[in-house]
Amino acid sequence: MKITGSCHCGFIKIEGEADPEKVSICHCTDCQTGTGSAFRVSVPIPGAQFNMTGEPTGYVKTTADSGNLRVQAFCPKCGSPIYSTTPGAGKQAAYMVRVGILDQRDQLAPKRQNWFRSARPWVTALGGLPKNEKQAPP
Amino acid sequence: MKIDGGCHCGFIAYEGEADPDKAAICHCTDCQTLSGSAFRTVVPVQDADFRMTGGQPSIYVKTAESGNQRQQAFCPNCGSPIFSAPPGDGPKAYFIRVGTIRQRDAFVPKAQVWARSRQAWLADAPSVRTSKDTQ
Repeated sequence: MKITGSCHCGFIKIEGEADPEKVSICHCTDCQTGTGSAFRVSVPIPGAQFNMTGEPTGYVKTTADSGNLRVQAFCPKCGSPIYSTTPGAGKQAAYMVRVGILDQRDQLAPKRQNWFRSARPWVTALGGLPKNEKQAPP
Repeated sequence: MKIDGGCHCGFIAYEGEADPDKAAICHCTDCQTLSGSAFRTVVPVQDADFRMTGGQPSIYVKTAESGNQRQQAFCPNCGSPIFSAPPGDGPKAYFIRVGTIRQRDAFVPKAQVWARSRQAWLADAPSVRTSKDTQ
């Protein structure tokens, strides 16, 4: 399906083609720190179908168990994570786009969870937590 | 309890005191975009108890639905979100992003806010296929 997205401040805009069946959660500790949250949600977009305006900052992460380098792109103005990809000049083979920045995120439910060994134990029990429809009462 | 943490690349470091009972999830669409994920996990640290011990974060000022402005701090080198806080001087709390806290295992969320924009699949997370290690 066609997807479009943007960082929070609008400096970075992307579009491409993504397969909703390939949406996944990553529970690795690098993704926990990189999102500041419990896990990441990503979907791959082939480089040939990926277009972007604006210039993200690339952070080359060297801490993967595999030893692989991975470029983590984020907006230099608002900090929104945009994608990860392989290092190198020019267009890469694929981009793992962060689903939270996509306009169609409601249609991009994850189909798989990776690095479950470091998943926060509570993520599978969210239904039991009290819910406020908007902000918490003061 | 005492906490310390920082960004992925190590440029930003902080320490403080946080109450694990105040850890919460925010499902608002701003938090979805700014984390790139489905929600954010946060815990407040009062400014008297909060100390930055490394480099200075970049600040992005976000205007909320309420009209309130809110600073979003992130590492300029690696992009890790660090905290949000109200702009200006005066007593304030820093809402620390739990994924950057070294003691994050102790911070199990006790509440969820902005549940109206919660990603629908979160309720079904146990049925999503899992892999023990890598892909």
